[in-house]
Amino acid sequence: MIKGRTSRLLVLAAIWAALIAAPYWMPLFGGYTALGSRVLVLALGAMSVNFLLGFTGTLSFGHAAWFGLGAYGAGFCLKWFALSSPLGLLAGTLLGGIAGTLLGALLVRRRGVYFAMVTIAFGQVFYYIAFQWSSVTGGDDGLRGFSRQPLHLGFTMIDLLNNADAFYYFVLVCFAAAVGLMGFILRSPFGRTMIAIRENERRARFLGIPVELHIWIAFSLSCFFMAFAGALYAELNNFADPRVLHYALSGDFVIMAVMGGMRTFWGPLLGAIVFVVLQDYLSSVTVNWMSFIGILIVLIVLFFPRGILGLIRQRSAA
Amino acid sequence: MNVLEVKNVSKRFGNLVAVRDVSLTVKKGELRAVIGPNGAGKTTFFNLISGFFPPSAGTVIFEDMDVTDLSAQKRVVLGMARTFQITEIFPELSVYENVRIGAESAAGFRLRPWLSAVEKSEIRNLVDETLALCGLTDKAGRLVGELAHGHQRATEIAMALTLRPRLLLLDEPTSGMGDQETYEITQLVRRLHRDSNFTIVLIEHDMRVVFHLADFITVLDQGALLAEGTPKEIEANPAVQAAYLGKAA
Amino acid sequence: MSQLILFNITNGLIVGAFYALMAIGLSLILNLSGVINFAHGGFLVIGGYLSYTLTPYLGFWGALIVAPFLTAIIGWLVERLLIRRVYGRDPLYSLLLTFGLAFIIEDGTRQIWGAQGLPVSVPAALSKPLSYEFFFITGYRLFMVAMVAVLIVLLFVLLRYTRSGIRVRAGTLDLETVSALGINVRALRSLNFSVGIFLAGFAGVLAAGQLGLDPNMGDGLLMPSFIAIIVGGVGSLTGTLLGGLLIGVAAGVTAVFFPSASDAIMYVMMAIVLLVRPRGLLGEEGMLS
Repeated sequence: MIKGRTSRLLVLAAIWAALIAAPYWMPLFGGYTALGSRVLVLALGAMSVNFLLGFTGTLSFGHAAWFGLGAYGAGFCLKWFALSSPLGLLAGTLLGGIAGTLLGALLVRRRGVYFAMVTIAFGQVFYYIAFQWSSVTGGDDGLRGFSRQPLHLGFTMIDLLNNADAFYYFVLVCFAAAVGLMGFILRSPFGRTMIAIRENERRARFLGIPVELHIWIAFSLSCFFMAFAGALYAELNNFADPRVLHYALSGDFVIMAVMGGMRTFWGPLLGAIVFVVLQDYLSSVTVNWMSFIGILIVLIVLFFPRGILGLIRQRSAA
Repeated sequence: MNVLEVKNVSKRFGNLVAVRDVSLTVKKGELRAVIGPNGAGKTTFFNLISGFFPPSAGTVIFEDMDVTDLSAQKRVVLGMARTFQITEIFPELSVYENVRIGAESAAGFRLRPWLSAVEKSEIRNLVDETLALCGLTDKAGRLVGELAHGHQRATEIAMALTLRPRLLLLDEPTSGMGDQETYEITQLVRRLHRDSNFTIVLIEHDMRVVFHLADFITVLDQGALLAEGTPKEIEANPAVQAAYLGKAA
Repeated sequence: MSQLILFNITNGLIVGAFYALMAIGLSLILNLSGVINFAHGGFLVIGGYLSYTLTPYLGFWGALIVAPFLTAIIGWLVERLLIRRVYGRDPLYSLLLTFGLAFIIEDGTRQIWGAQGLPVSVPAALSKPLSYEFFFITGYRLFMVAMVAVLIVLLFVLLRYTRSGIRVRAGTLDLETVSALGINVRALRSLNFSVGIFLAGFAGVLAAGQLGLDPNMGDGLLMPSFIAIIVGGVGSLTGTLLGGLLIGVAAGVTAVFFPSASDAIMYVMMAIVLLVRPRGLLGEEGMLS
């Protein structure tokens, strides 16, 4: 196997080629473009969780809260304020990101298992609000009556609503931007500090690194990314409901990250693909798909904790 | 100037008194060894100096500044660096990456999203220099977790050095090492002391290392200060001999 | 008006006692093994459904005693076969494991007992209200509180005076030392887990009598348990007990003035505690931080 930069660039090129050509090869496998958009959005969510989990070593299990806030934010914007898809994305990203940043200051005082508990509980606060405040959020029925708007680019207008392929590429561009920014941050000195904290928090502290501050910043960044994914999700479905805030979705994102490979950058994308395809398939053939997913989770935790990419890396290093 | 002045520190854990009214003064460029039988409270004493936890009583003064209430992280920023009895490094990163994190933290680049070409080469030079000083240049690309114990410790010391510490605290730097590795680490510490003029306080059990390196020795026993003096004085001190022999009996 | 307040506070105490029971089981497991048992609600459901199945054969009282034991045995098996394998690892894995288990249990119970809710009958002797004045205190609710109180007292006595109990308490503070003293930590953890699950199962039997049976009923009780632990203080069982009662009463009192906000009040309490005293009311500094 070729090692080093060349192989990495080749892999990267292959990934992007596959993503760009997706609307063309997906139907060959029984897929459809909207499914591809869904995978991308969920993959972005999983990568946002992994930004925090895999690279800082911080266990947040309530991250769906920011995803959901992003979704509702986009929905509110499109429904009541501005008929613009990009603005909807911005609104959602800001809502989830800022909420996460503010609450993060409170949450990062604790770490480990306690932190996980608190993030779960806080995530549920938003679920509860979405459920109860039905006059604003539509309650259990969800937020409806909005849809993604055509993109006015001056020289042309792209119909995002009805053209599934066009929307897919819109999502892909957003995905690329977010993922590019994530990668950039991880390769910077800041990213290296995050990894140091993950590797050995005590040593990081004794190198003069203010650990809590860094975790807060990393947390906030991941909330912004997460909210962005959520906003895309709302525009994908033209719909937002409390389920996008529930800790079960948080768990799904973590599973995707772990399944694909928690310590790798692209692992969560792989995990998202597998998870979405599996869930889609299972729920169509059996009514007990939940048991199967549960069993899959247990198997992964017990036997494949490093995920698919982690396994591949181990094999190639051996 | 005195780099470190520890005045009458004590540390209590519930009813257990781990450190009892110990004082210490370290001058610039000095190498002080802290020795004592097992359970004498040496590591706890170190923890008090480095800010791992606050003392129950007493003060710690670093370069004429009272740091007693400061967190460990702040003390590092002020110029105190330490290594641990059980090596604390970043196991899944390479030696170079380990040391680089120290360098970037020291340069204040921790939060930076990017570095200019000048800054990058600054860091690179510092890391290369430090690796050379510690004899790790040929191991720069290896994962620290895979290295021999001695090289892991050298990496840990290298990380501490990038912080340009004005006080270097080494907790049992040769613990768990064979003769060859002990020799190499001892030589490294000697170079740091004699050639680079670092102020060093170290805890050691290996008496050969202590007598080879120390300018002054502080002896702790059961949390209290037993004796203090030059290596010759300590060697001849009957109370010190009794403490060690007494424990062995 | 005072009748209303009294009604709601009493109600709140009853609900709070229930939350406390669930939360204590969760806390036991969390404190000793560092595992957040996402499947705790699932075991509650199993307890409830098992009692439903056993009642025709053993009667109400028989089922009340046997169902929790059976649930505890299932819990013991789960700990022995699955959870034990992830103790040494990053807490992420135990979280994911119990998360997956919760799925399996929910779907499993739905498979075995059907997706519809099941009605549960309670002995007539218990359904009668206590008096005309206090019509809202039915025998069953009083019975529930009494049972919860008995169990909690029993648990505290066990923890204080039996050898295993003392070991569990010691293990919560310093597992390494306990193990160095030659005590079988694995067996201790299994026992501890089973006790926690017993409590969950028992809570399920009680809940069934009050709310009927529903495969999703565990969900709604998991969050209050978390919050009870956070509010009461991580690492302290008394704190968890207090936390559960506090949440219940607070919800009850709020229901008088702001009925729609009564569910939200526990989240508000959690936020306040985290702001003002992050370790919880009775929590110890540094536990699991």
